Amino acid sequence: MMTRLDTWIKQATRHLSKESIAQVRIEIQEHHELAREAAMQDGASADEADRLAITALGDPKLANREYRKVLLTSSEARTLSQGSREVQAVCSRPWLRRLMQGFSIAVLLAAIATFLMSGAKTGWPVLLAGAAIALLFAAPFMPIYTPPRARIVRCLRLVFVLGTLAAIFSPDALKWSWLLISCLWPLVWTEWVRASIRRKLPVAQWPKQLYL
Amino acid sequence: MNFKGTLPPLILETLIHEPSHGYRIAQRIKEGSRGVLDFKEGTLYPALHKLENEGLVESYDGVEKGRPRRYYRITKSGRATLVRDRAEWRELSQAVTSILGEA
Repeated sequence: MMTRLDTWIKQATRHLSKESIAQVRIEIQEHHELAREAAMQDGASADEADRLAITALGDPKLANREYRKVLLTSSEARTLSQGSREVQAVCSRPWLRRLMQGFSIAVLLAAIATFLMSGAKTGWPVLLAGAAIALLFAAPFMPIYTPPRARIVRCLRLVFVLGTLAAIFSPDALKWSWLLISCLWPLVWTEWVRASIRRKLPVAQWPKQLYL
Repeated sequence: MNFKGTLPPLILETLIHEPSHGYRIAQRIKEGSRGVLDFKEGTLYPALHKLENEGLVESYDGVEKGRPRRYYRITKSGRATLVRDRAEWRELSQAVTSILGEA
């Protein structure tokens, strides 16, 4: 049978990750125990002390809202572990790393060659696009793993994606808006979740994919 | 009394002299305000986690009366933030007092 405390914790930890639930359970149990002891020292019965301690904790739904702002939710934990698997997949396959590094160098060289052959006027967009694509593929292997550097890489990536889309769809942006929204929605959602995780985890605990 | 947004500086103020666990922090805030600031204790821990994520407090495991407890202590940047918060609060309370008038 569930106690009052179990019911409170269950409501307060709704949609949180397993690790977050365990953390909340420990701290609230400790708190409840001390509050209950204090009430009993003041002369309350065991049941009355338990009720007072739960009342002092307040509305579990309000606590849940606050906890979800600062602790990982189950969907964020899933995104994090999924990202870890992707990073591991790249890091554990040396041929894939070399392929990505080789591709970024090849794109950059091709862009420079195009720039030199076609002249500055038409060559600039190609050079910029080539440099951006090279950066996108090479970023995971570059020393970008500090929050300010990672922020710059993410901003450059965003500018590149939006710039490319604007260049492709600008004449008929409205006509293709349904396609843009449906294609960009997963990207926006993933970035939103990652931003939320970055706020919740101390930098020292960030896995590599949070920088990208 | 509703004091939304002022809980983090109150927590930092409570931790300025010595590390403490959640229950004691809650009791000190209530006692320090003579019961005026009567907040729901379930919202204390999310505020502590937020301060910890921001690097303003750090937690460690301790023992009190033979039982394990989670303790929190203020960091160097937490102290700097508290100094700023105090100055802002003084400015704000002076501004409000100048409009509402001294009692």
